[in-house]
Amino acid sequence: MRTKLMSLAVFAGLILSVAPAGAHHSFAAEFDINRPLKLRGTVTTMEWVNPHSWIHIDVKGADGKVVSWMVEGGSPNALLRLGFNKSALPPGSEVVVEGFQARDGSNRAVGQSVSFADGRKLFLGGTAEGAHGDTDKNDK
Amino acid sequence: MTHLASLFVLLLMTAPVYGQASFRTADGHPDLQGIWTSASVVPLERPASLKGKEFYTEQEAAENAKRVLGMSSWERLGSQAPEHYNMSQYGLDLSQAKVASTLRTSLIVGPEGRVPPLTPEAQKRIAERAARNRGHQFDGPENRPLQERCLIYSSEGPPMLPSAYNSNLQIVQDADHVVVLQEMIHSARIIPTDGSPHLAQSVRQWYGDSRGHWEGDTLVVDTTNFTDKTAFRGSTANLHLIERFRRIDKDTIVYEFTAEDPATWTRPWTAQIQLVRIEGPLFEFACHEGNQGVANTLSGARAAENVSK
Amino acid sequence: MHVKTLVLAAAILLPCAAQSTAYRAPRTADGKPNLGGIWQALNTANWDIQGHAAAAGPFPQLGAIGAVPPGLGVVEGNDLPYLPEAAAKKRENFANRLTLDPEVKCYLPGVPRATYMPYPFQIVQSDKTILFSYQYAGAVRTVNMQKAPEAPIDSWMGWSNGHWEGETLVIDVTGLNDKTWFDRAGNFHSDALHVIERYTPRSPDTLFYEARIEDPKVFSRPWKMSMILYRHEEPNAQLLEFKCVEFVEELMYGPLRKKVSK
Repeated sequence: MRTKLMSLAVFAGLILSVAPAGAHHSFAAEFDINRPLKLRGTVTTMEWVNPHSWIHIDVKGADGKVVSWMVEGGSPNALLRLGFNKSALPPGSEVVVEGFQARDGSNRAVGQSVSFADGRKLFLGGTAEGAHGDTDKNDK
Repeated sequence: MTHLASLFVLLLMTAPVYGQASFRTADGHPDLQGIWTSASVVPLERPASLKGKEFYTEQEAAENAKRVLGMSSWERLGSQAPEHYNMSQYGLDLSQAKVASTLRTSLIVGPEGRVPPLTPEAQKRIAERAARNRGHQFDGPENRPLQERCLIYSSEGPPMLPSAYNSNLQIVQDADHVVVLQEMIHSARIIPTDGSPHLAQSVRQWYGDSRGHWEGDTLVVDTTNFTDKTAFRGSTANLHLIERFRRIDKDTIVYEFTAEDPATWTRPWTAQIQLVRIEGPLFEFACHEGNQGVANTLSGARAAENVSK
Repeated sequence: MHVKTLVLAAAILLPCAAQSTAYRAPRTADGKPNLGGIWQALNTANWDIQGHAAAAGPFPQLGAIGAVPPGLGVVEGNDLPYLPEAAAKKRENFANRLTLDPEVKCYLPGVPRATYMPYPFQIVQSDKTILFSYQYAGAVRTVNMQKAPEAPIDSWMGWSNGHWEGETLVIDVTGLNDKTWFDRAGNFHSDALHVIERYTPRSPDTLFYEARIEDPKVFSRPWKMSMILYRHEEPNAQLLEFKCVEFVEELMYGPLRKKVSK
């Protein structure tokens, strides 16, 4: 595990040396590629903040208990430029999040892709990037 | 009467010389105001495969633009990061932004198109800094990149460079000042054009200290008084920048900077970026206030260490 | 008849006395009052916007440096008309100000607090946009002097639309989030805050500043604060950087630092 973290550190350094500003800090250190997830829940609020937006959702587990998650997204400024505003994702919306859980095990995830329950992609849709290798996503 | 008539004719004759007469503020200065983007399909340094070729043909430039805009964010930024949100979904791809067209093959001008070699002193300094951080990149906030800490983005400048997204700025002027306001991270660089001198040498700033003056239609900005923390491409507090802003048409400013630091590069180097007008406004980018990155990254590192124990 | 005229005249003139607009500021090239320059409030509103005596600070180690200086207050009538639950929240804010005051973490100060932080700010005035650059934390806002759409989301420094009323710059500020405070004493607001600012030149080197505060979720009625803003006259006056984010990292992230094992 230690070796893995070391190689991630090198990897992080590499991203930063080639990428222009705004390309990210080491997401690999924050989120765990070995903890893929698929969350289905109800939006309680969306934080239209920088440097990354956060979508808060309530997820009902198999045991009936509701767990709150926060899902990381991109800077909202481009969406605002395109005319979206805070009513674009109202509380109560049903969404499906595919992504990876935080490395520290908390109820935090990066949302590789976010869709409405009917399958429509959120905001501008686009293709889900990456998902290198690991397709074993657990429903939570 | 004849005097007036000849004066009138003289004025008419000289009018074409001031072709940008329509681009003047009420004070009579060149008008650089507006909301602009520095987004570019062209890299800072010329790819090795294009060695010696400073300009594309029109067709080559169009093909290059098509290629770059067709890339996924990851290919273009040179990293593969699956544990990341989808940039297209949030409108953050370069193909979803306005981008200037240019025939240049690199932002750095000249036959080489690359940053000059580092001095031996700079190579040593940079290697030592990297060595100090090796194995310690997740120890504490001071080990994390400046961007992740929301201290400063390297694109802000000076000198300013295109950023991965939100590569936007606003210029506001009054009689004695030109302000360059970068969207990320809301930095307002107020450049006096009143002839006032630079700050005392003892006062060092992340953005340095800028002084401007007009040379015809060009704003020339001289910046000194940097700290050694900004470390623009490994440079020192002795970094000296000269920037030039010149509006060439209604929707374009040519921005050029020359970077000089004898402690870092064997010679000065110059880059040129087209700033293209976009519809505003800029939106607030309050980075530190919403920053979870440092806390979450350190927390993740501590969790990983506990697992390995 | 005479007495009536006198009374009428007095009724007209007296309310205007507080905001005498006898002074006419020099104009910009496009004919507007020129508010350009470096300005600063000279009061202790940032400690407490209401009248208050000097008091010990929260850290005895800082002695007099950490003490709270006294102030006459900047609130007209000195009364803050909190709704009952809000008044309780204010007291709770004060009790927990070291953890709750956004200034401690170098967060953007919002409007109107940015105006009376004890540091200078600069106005760069153009016809379509007036820019306010605050030395503290590099806070900045642009005031749109043309027609502008509504704020799409809330932000720390809000959404400012301005227009001229004679000699006065009037700025309507909406779209403020609920995360800023009015001062270090815990005076706060909700995201329903609506601020109307008025900047009026009153002499070559002073502005009269008034901010009308309306927030029906927190206050039972609108209220106003006002103060004088003073021009920096020293030669070569300029704003300097006060990027305080790096000064708060130990506070915010210190507990997450790797423990050095012996």
